Amino acid sequence: MIKPTCEDTFLIKKRDLKNNYFSMVFKTYSRVDQCQPGHFVHVHIPSTDIFFRRAMSVAGVLVESGEIEVIFKVVGRGTRLLSMLHPGDRVNFLGPLGVSFKLPKKSEKAIMVAGGVGFPPLFYMATEMVRRGYDPKNIEFFYGGRSVSDILERTRIKKLGVTFHPVTEDGSYGEKGLVTGPVERYIKSGDKAKMRLYGCGPDGMLRAVNELGLRLGVPGQLSLEAPMPCGVGICLGCVVPLVKGGYARVCQDGPVFEIGEVAL
Amino acid sequence: MTPNLKVSIAGVEFATPIMTASGCCGYGEELAAIFPMSKLGALVTKSVTLNPREGHPPPRTAETASGMLNAIGLANVGVDRFITEKIPFLEKQKTKVIVNVAGSKLEEYVEVCSRLNDIERVDMIELNISCPNVNEGGMEFGSDPAMTEKSVAAVKKVFSRPLIAKLSPNVTSITTIAQAAQQGGADAFSVINSLVGTSIDTDTWRPRLTNNKGGLTGPAIKPVALAMVNAVYEKCSLPIIGIGGIATAEDVVEFMLCGATAVQVGTSLFVRPDAPVIIADGLKEYLRKKKLSSACELIGKVRKY
Repeated sequence: MIKPTCEDTFLIKKRDLKNNYFSMVFKTYSRVDQCQPGHFVHVHIPSTDIFFRRAMSVAGVLVESGEIEVIFKVVGRGTRLLSMLHPGDRVNFLGPLGVSFKLPKKSEKAIMVAGGVGFPPLFYMATEMVRRGYDPKNIEFFYGGRSVSDILERTRIKKLGVTFHPVTEDGSYGEKGLVTGPVERYIKSGDKAKMRLYGCGPDGMLRAVNELGLRLGVPGQLSLEAPMPCGVGICLGCVVPLVKGGYARVCQDGPVFEIGEVAL
Repeated sequence: MTPNLKVSIAGVEFATPIMTASGCCGYGEELAAIFPMSKLGALVTKSVTLNPREGHPPPRTAETASGMLNAIGLANVGVDRFITEKIPFLEKQKTKVIVNVAGSKLEEYVEVCSRLNDIERVDMIELNISCPNVNEGGMEFGSDPAMTEKSVAAVKKVFSRPLIAKLSPNVTSITTIAQAAQQGGADAFSVINSLVGTSIDTDTWRPRLTNNKGGLTGPAIKPVALAMVNAVYEKCSLPIIGIGGIATAEDVVEFMLCGATAVQVGTSLFVRPDAPVIIADGLKEYLRKKKLSSACELIGKVRKY
């Protein structure tokens, strides 16, 4: 089990990715070397407007310089406040938290399905796999959004050398339609026994990826999102129902769950 | 000279007056990964009931101004698993252990407390007769003086160590309930549990909690809690553990001046899981500045107009 720490950090780089998406790089976080793809940090933004921390999935780390990147979309007061920070501003990080992705075997195909703001943990995973010497050709990066402005960091994805499959609902970039269509086609065309499916995105997309994995017999994992007051498993506020009955905590038992484990 | 943070309640000594509040620390395992439990005066566990409870469907929590609403629904592993799975961990922790007990029937409270009486690691029981988030039992035991006295007296017969009655603010007169609990044989009070509240999503017109209502906690309720601690302090003779929005050392000082002997930190743990450590350090610093040798010198010393 990773020992999370609670410590101050400061923003060093901020990029407006347009359409309410932001990338932020924070500095001097001592546990950066313990971060794995799928982990998240719980960020406290000093303000009287919000009370709780906000969970941010990690989009990447630079261990040598102690830097950590988060990418998020402004959806409410917390993310709005976060987006208004300037380089030099301090926040408090609690983390790294949660269960990370299990990487596939090097001989297996990793089929990543990202939807909208579900992009960061899968981008981190693809980056980490390439860094660890996985063949980028074994990473199929499917990325769906409503339109071209929802498909973030296209240059960075392409730079990894992975096979990039952008899909937009309005057809403004990549294939037109829902991301799960081409994913299904791809799975059916290959050796399912050597595939692992990974998903992160909106509820509807996660349900569809979960269903695909179960129906086509491809194991894998999904990363879930939930509002979480504590982030460390003590408040029981972020639970999701399990297929076998009962609830699991997204923050501590997840956010990464096996396909077929959660009643989505 | 280093100020002394030790306090004593019903013969039990605590290294500091800072405890965790029930429902905000699980059974201690997660927090122990963040700071040593020896830094706490006591760990107050999540409510334990006779049978395991899954709790309410999500969403169970909502953020409010300076606080939160929750309706977890007393999700817990049940007393049997608590004894077999959680006590071994708690045995190893160098802090006092207070087990919060809840139930939907009087017999359930008695049965759980009777089983816990055999577990030496349980230093005290905190009787949750005030949970607003369950349909049966909970608050109804603590909103009627006769029922309060009866519940406390019944548990006192089967649990030989000190018993704390956790009081609800959702009553006409908290002092009447406190007096009834004292009459029933309680050894101390926890004041207060959460206030009943709700929150509505203006897009969907639905409550933000599936239970429709929940318990309001956090700094938002601190002034209510302080007034109630002081009211109980003035009317009753038992020691009080103050609860309600404690986030800083100054908050602890306020509660102790109003009559609390110790305090429990709850919702603040969600914002800073190491809050009890920071608060205890801050309290020491405060006592040093005020040239006080012991935290006990603060108890009930509010200078009223």
